[in-house]
Amino acid sequence: MLEIKGLEKVYPNGYHALKNVSFCVPKGEFLVVIGLSGSGKSTMLRCINRLHDPTGGEVLFCGVDTSKLKGSALRKIRSEIGMIFQHFNLIPRKTVMENVLSGNLSRTGILASILGIHSPEARALAQKYIEIVGLKGKERNRADNLSGGQQQRVAIARALMQNPKILLADEPVASLDPATSHSVMQYLKKVNEELGVTVICNLHFLSLVRQYAHRVVALKGGKLIYDGKPLEINEEWFKTIYGEDAVEVTIN
Amino acid sequence: MKQRVQKKPNKYIQGCKAFVLDTLTWAYILLVGYKIVYEKMIIDERYPEFSWEQPLLALYIGLAVAAILFFTKLSLGRGLFGLIKFDENEGPASQPFAWVGYLLIVLTFITGFYVSQISMKEFLSESGLEGARRIFKALFSPNWAVFEEGLFAAIETIYMAFIATAVAIPIAFVLGFFAARNLMNTNRLAFFCYNTLRAFLNISRSIEPLVWAIIFSVWVGIGPFSGMLALCIHSIASLTKQYSEQIESIDDGPIEAITATGAHPIQVVWFGVVPQIVLPYLSYTIYRWDINVRMATVIGLVGGGGIGNLLMQYQGQARWNEVGMLVILIAAIVWTMDWASSKLREALK
Repeated sequence: MLEIKGLEKVYPNGYHALKNVSFCVPKGEFLVVIGLSGSGKSTMLRCINRLHDPTGGEVLFCGVDTSKLKGSALRKIRSEIGMIFQHFNLIPRKTVMENVLSGNLSRTGILASILGIHSPEARALAQKYIEIVGLKGKERNRADNLSGGQQQRVAIARALMQNPKILLADEPVASLDPATSHSVMQYLKKVNEELGVTVICNLHFLSLVRQYAHRVVALKGGKLIYDGKPLEINEEWFKTIYGEDAVEVTIN
Repeated sequence: MKQRVQKKPNKYIQGCKAFVLDTLTWAYILLVGYKIVYEKMIIDERYPEFSWEQPLLALYIGLAVAAILFFTKLSLGRGLFGLIKFDENEGPASQPFAWVGYLLIVLTFITGFYVSQISMKEFLSESGLEGARRIFKALFSPNWAVFEEGLFAAIETIYMAFIATAVAIPIAFVLGFFAARNLMNTNRLAFFCYNTLRAFLNISRSIEPLVWAIIFSVWVGIGPFSGMLALCIHSIASLTKQYSEQIESIDDGPIEAITATGAHPIQVVWFGVVPQIVLPYLSYTIYRWDINVRMATVIGLVGGGGIGNLLMQYQGQARWNEVGMLVILIAAIVWTMDWASSKLREALK
């Protein structure tokens, strides 16, 4: 499904964020990426859908190297890759419905989307996804008036609206409280299991990793240093990934 | 996660800048000290001569003084660029180089005093006070016969300002995107556009609307149209700058998210940028209209039509009672606009 080969990223200011990262993601997997802040997790996700441009290596998505694409071919690939963010990144002052429909922009004409014209099918689909993330009845609420957890669920519905083959989640629960974190993770799990969407998720809390991940990769200083089952991360690996002085914090 | 490597400023470049600053400082102190303190205050010369030799000489001597004092603690440039080390607890204000700065400020103050020709004698002279009494008396007994005429002129002013703002809005709206650094630093061509537009805007903004009005009054003739054009040019430049600054300060998150859905760049701007800027834009625009009404009055003085024009006519004939009436009208308009625009902007928050 997704194959990353020798991925490199050097920022214009000279910061070397990713160093020769390679791994594969089979279809239907729930892959979690762990590592300290600044280890290159976010950069790696953004190199997949080209919010950042990799400076070396290949990202093969369904056999297509995304790192070489431009213009409409790039937008086509992006539309097949959903993404959710730590700070939700919803459109402020717009309703839940409008936000979810914005996931369909790549299939809507420019003028039609600006005038707010959407096909009845698209609206029905948006309604369906709003119900899947448990926000029925909130369609007409303004998205920025919802709670953090609800906003993240709107973001999930927006990503689903793209009908993605893969969902990238960049620390989706890092700005949520523990209870809400679990609820959002449950929805991601549901998306993964029931809709068969492959998920790549950056996480901080190992307890969440053990509970939701099928497989874990760890980055440290831009290098891939671990690739394996979540339960195999023992004390020793933990210290290697997070440094000698780190102590595990649990979230229940 | 973006991580920026802090670039250390080059010590030699900083040193060069410091030296230039030192040279200019000493040259200024010497020149102003000689011209004002010696020529004006000590030997009290009536009409001091000007020649290019004096500033040039001051520059040479300044260069020499700067060179001699550059490595002492009296170098203001090295002090300001952080090249002089001193005790952190003392702070820069009590350092030797700061005294050079104080000398600069005191000299400038004295110069300003002389250049402005401040004179208490004239301010409080008998004939002067008599003139003031006369004009204030006339101003406070306005001639209501010109009320109607003034009102029509005022309405002309308000509408002129409104049209100037309205025409400027769509142009500034479009230009604002091209003048926003965060949208335009994607490639070299875009960045070139950004720089050209910025330079163009800065030039047109640095020309006062008053000057534009003079230009247009020659171009399209004296009247409200020339005033409206002048205001329009100025509004486009100012609004574009304010709009683009608003765009530069928005949250990148929604842009990222909309881009990630595979949307077209135009859709990214419409859904990622526009919802974040609508309210501040409205607020700026209303404020601009408010400013334009006030400016339109001033512009009328040079032939831009409206109440300013009328004011100029009566002032030229020294008909102070009529002028008094117009001043009251202008004050009423400015106050009303100010009040209305602040209420409107408050409601938008």
